[in-house]
Amino acid sequence: MAGLDDVLRRHRVVICAGSGGVGKTTTAASLAVRGALLGRRTMVLTIDPAKRLANALGMHALGSVSTSIGGDGVPEGMLSAMVLDQKGAWDELVERHAPSPEIRDRILANHFYQHLSQNFAGSQEYMAIEQLCELHASGAYDLIVVDTPPTRHALDFLEAPQRIADFLDRSVVKWFVRPYFSAGWATLRFVNRTVGFLFRRLEDATGISALVEVSDFFTSMSGLFEEFEPRVRRVYQLLRSPDTAFVLVATPEEQVLSEAEYFCRKVHDLDMSLRAVVFNRTHRELSGARRGVKPDEVKRVMQHLVGSAAVAERLADNFSRYETLGRGDGLRMEAFRRLLQKRVAVAEVPNFNADVHSVADLQAMHPFLFSAA
Amino acid sequence: MDHESLFDRRLLVIAGKGGVGKTTIACALGLLAAQLGKRTLLAEVDGAGRAAYLLGIPPAPAGEARALGPSLSVMSVDGSASLAEYLEIILPVKRVVQAVLSSRIYQYFVAAAPGLKELMTVGKIWYEAERTDEGRVRWDLVIFDAPATGHSLQYLRMPRAAHAAFGSGLVGRESKRIVDLLTDPRRTAINLVTTAEEMPVNETVEMYQQVRSDLRMPPGLLFVNRTHHAQFHAEDLAHAEARRGTLHDPRERAIADEVLNRAREELGWTAINGTFLRRLESEIDMPLVQVPFMFTEEFGVNEVRAIAARIAAEITPAARHRLGDGWA
Repeated sequence: MAGLDDVLRRHRVVICAGSGGVGKTTTAASLAVRGALLGRRTMVLTIDPAKRLANALGMHALGSVSTSIGGDGVPEGMLSAMVLDQKGAWDELVERHAPSPEIRDRILANHFYQHLSQNFAGSQEYMAIEQLCELHASGAYDLIVVDTPPTRHALDFLEAPQRIADFLDRSVVKWFVRPYFSAGWATLRFVNRTVGFLFRRLEDATGISALVEVSDFFTSMSGLFEEFEPRVRRVYQLLRSPDTAFVLVATPEEQVLSEAEYFCRKVHDLDMSLRAVVFNRTHRELSGARRGVKPDEVKRVMQHLVGSAAVAERLADNFSRYETLGRGDGLRMEAFRRLLQKRVAVAEVPNFNADVHSVADLQAMHPFLFSAA
Repeated sequence: MDHESLFDRRLLVIAGKGGVGKTTIACALGLLAAQLGKRTLLAEVDGAGRAAYLLGIPPAPAGEARALGPSLSVMSVDGSASLAEYLEIILPVKRVVQAVLSSRIYQYFVAAAPGLKELMTVGKIWYEAERTDEGRVRWDLVIFDAPATGHSLQYLRMPRAAHAAFGSGLVGRESKRIVDLLTDPRRTAINLVTTAEEMPVNETVEMYQQVRSDLRMPPGLLFVNRTHHAQFHAEDLAHAEARRGTLHDPRERAIADEVLNRAREELGWTAINGTFLRRLESEIDMPLVQVPFMFTEEFGVNEVRAIAARIAAEITPAARHRLGDGWA
């Protein structure tokens, strides 16, 4: 079994995936710091709107432009970080393709566009991957670590490009590409007459003139979406490349692990490579010769140390509570490991109860992530 | 607000950052309300059946209530399903509705109408809260387990935005009635859930300000979940460490080290929680209810029951009395 160091040395793109709230951002930042320490020019790309990575790296105004981070043993110029402003990325796409400033402004104000760029499920993920493709193609970095968006289901990240492609499917888009009030819409040659009528009825009832906006959007942007299929193909090529490794981050909770299990299967089905699993915020029961230590023995030892029987008892109680947590975590992690292929590296990071504020704090995770560190 | 009257509302919204235990608190409140004899609906949004799991029942299809007992039902509310349900009301011919829903244009329509799905979700909650069967209200209380912070604000803001945007249409008129329910202190209370840690507290403080100034929703209780309360002091540990050398058996030393490690972890959490509890108290003007961390092998229905008992003890002495001993 290769360790996480090998994963960082042998790949150009490392994607940290997992459910929301498992410590993905911190893990990605910590991996990137390690990459830079291994002598690789490293970029960590985050999409988290909470800008937590910025906090972890001690930077407060991280823009969408890459910033070079040094200090705490990381050589100058080896580590950069970037926060993707996904709304900005969509706007840029519009800027590039809109035929005139008037049309650009009309698109930016369009409700349909605003939904697509901000709320459409997978839109954020898609833009993250586009950004990743560009960074990868630039050749400026030996290693790009990606912190995926905080989606409820880690899977959204993998499916986003296809979902966008399906949504912007040419045959449907073509239908919308004509002014709403033109003859094409009035006679509705391209769709079932009844359906067309129903939508008119629906718009009247709700007071929402939605289809005008859809039509306006696609008419203004015609041309751009013709190229969507090849773009999505390019994105999946990178995700499947032998240069790309997935690292799954999970906490040992039942709900998180059941999502993680589904994710592993899906990565495999999509011909992508899961290279490592990081269990975060874990508790472990005592192992080896000390396993199954009796409460009385704990109490006796502690009473010897603290004197007071009452305090010794409280310390012993606390110990047994944490043993209970550790037993549950341990059982769930063992069951999960049995599902993984042998070559998948596994690391376990205990529950730190200190906030991560600096590059040095990120390095505190290294002894757990990299056994040789 | 008056603790005792929490369950006299028609709608309790439960909001907070993802992963802090919103659904757990919502389930616990559901159990309590049901024990008080309130016919209660626990409505979960985008929760993938988490509430049903925590209460130990199989999930039901979106939009359908599954009964846990005579007084408590659980429902998973989904924007698309609610929209379809709504269309059946405004387009009364069933065949017509099917034609709309099965059309590919439908998804573009939904995408182009900003926040329509969110609006329909809140609309569905409102519908359940106001619903009557043969002249009698269907539910005495609806508990709305809202999605994570950013999203829940998006949801709760929609009715007002829709009223402004579609004022004249049917949707605009109905949005007004939803806003009326959400902002009525006699009928509604919004409750916040957080843990006493840096990031969740930051988000909670922000959310509280938005709830007050922007949404103008009546505040309920602030639940601080997973609080640690070490029963020993740093001096106890320092004392023990100083005497560690007096243990000669390596096994005993190893045990002592592990016990002290866990004790330090517990003290660390207690300190962090203390810091952020103080911040919550100073920045959020809502009655605060602490819910202790549960040391358990597996989190399930028993833990939810224990938390319900704990909340009962904190918020409603009268409720606790009526619950009897079954909760301990």
